[in-house]
Amino acid sequence: MEDSKRQQFRAALRETKNLPTLPGIVVKLSRMADDPDSTTEQMGKVLSKDHILAAKLLKLVNSAFYGFPQRISSLSSAIILLGFNVVKSLIVSASIFEMMEDQDVELWEHSLGCAVACSVVARRIGVDEPEEVSTAGLIHDIGKVAIKMELPQEYEMITRLMRERKMSMRQAELEVLGLGHDEAGGWLTKSWNLPTKLIEPIACHHDPRLAKDEMLSSSIIHFSDILIRGMGYGHAGDDKVPALSKRAWQLLNLSPEDINFIIDEVEEKLWEVKGFSLEIQAETENSATNG
Amino acid sequence: MQQILSAQAKEGMVLAKDVMTPESRVLCGKGTVLSTTLLDRLEKMDIVHVTVEGHPVELPGEKTLKQELQAVEERFSDVTQIAPLMYIKQRIMKKLVESRG
Repeated sequence: MEDSKRQQFRAALRETKNLPTLPGIVVKLSRMADDPDSTTEQMGKVLSKDHILAAKLLKLVNSAFYGFPQRISSLSSAIILLGFNVVKSLIVSASIFEMMEDQDVELWEHSLGCAVACSVVARRIGVDEPEEVSTAGLIHDIGKVAIKMELPQEYEMITRLMRERKMSMRQAELEVLGLGHDEAGGWLTKSWNLPTKLIEPIACHHDPRLAKDEMLSSSIIHFSDILIRGMGYGHAGDDKVPALSKRAWQLLNLSPEDINFIIDEVEEKLWEVKGFSLEIQAETENSATNG
Repeated sequence: MQQILSAQAKEGMVLAKDVMTPESRVLCGKGTVLSTTLLDRLEKMDIVHVTVEGHPVELPGEKTLKQELQAVEERFSDVTQIAPLMYIKQRIMKKLVESRG
């Protein structure tokens, strides 16, 4: 693949026209987060001004992948419980998911499922901030959305290659674009100024060895992506379970008991998440019939 | 165990999981047999989905257990050399069989 062509795709994906840009509210909140004088209550108030966004955020926060025993009803407690980085990424995810719900329900289900698996695995091995890992899991395939939206012709070629030559989506992306959705997702989240803790696991979810600082989170997402594909929840473009990175497997160091626990727990939580997507579907149908 | 929309729930079905209100209170517990009164209440409370015992609702296009198991085999067909993934596959298949039983 010539470098110039690669550069051209890179530029096209960078200057996204169809993807939501980071809402102004995030910029404002980032400024507040850096200011030691602003409180989480004040940040919650700013967020609440956008009613639709606030409702979506609370819905995401209360859905199964964060698994808080109590319902979280205020945005300021969401910021305290989840941390500002997670809330910031959720604002991005909320706007992206709106689009994914219309465009690609199955990829959205795969993403939700992956977030659930990430949350279970991260808690089982005891990482410090499991919410950040599940948020990265939630948006790990954002590169796929970007490619589909920004490069429709190339996307068509990718799906044709997958069909005709039985390639995985990532193999086909590499063949057509010279880059994969993992790399594309990395740039995109970087251009949105999301923290490295989220960027690296997204960029390295197919090869956690590439991660510099976040190899463990990258490995959790790598494994969760594989697990959720294996469980057949949602659809990520191609059906086959990809190879497991040896390095990731060593790092996670899961025993058969861990695996049993993780599968049981993920399945249990998926029942709730399935309810969450049924609800969204019902809402979409309602608004379609009412509107 | 099957998750269905409340609109698909019928009298006599048995709840396999607690039904919760949006405030996370238990509205009716696991094991409850659904009656017309209860179904009305679920509708009034805007409960969108419930989980019931067995597999009472035939959804269009839904796979049989045999087809589901074949699909698992197919999904894992490229990674038969990777021991941890084969272990995961066995667990997933075992759980599928149990859930339909």
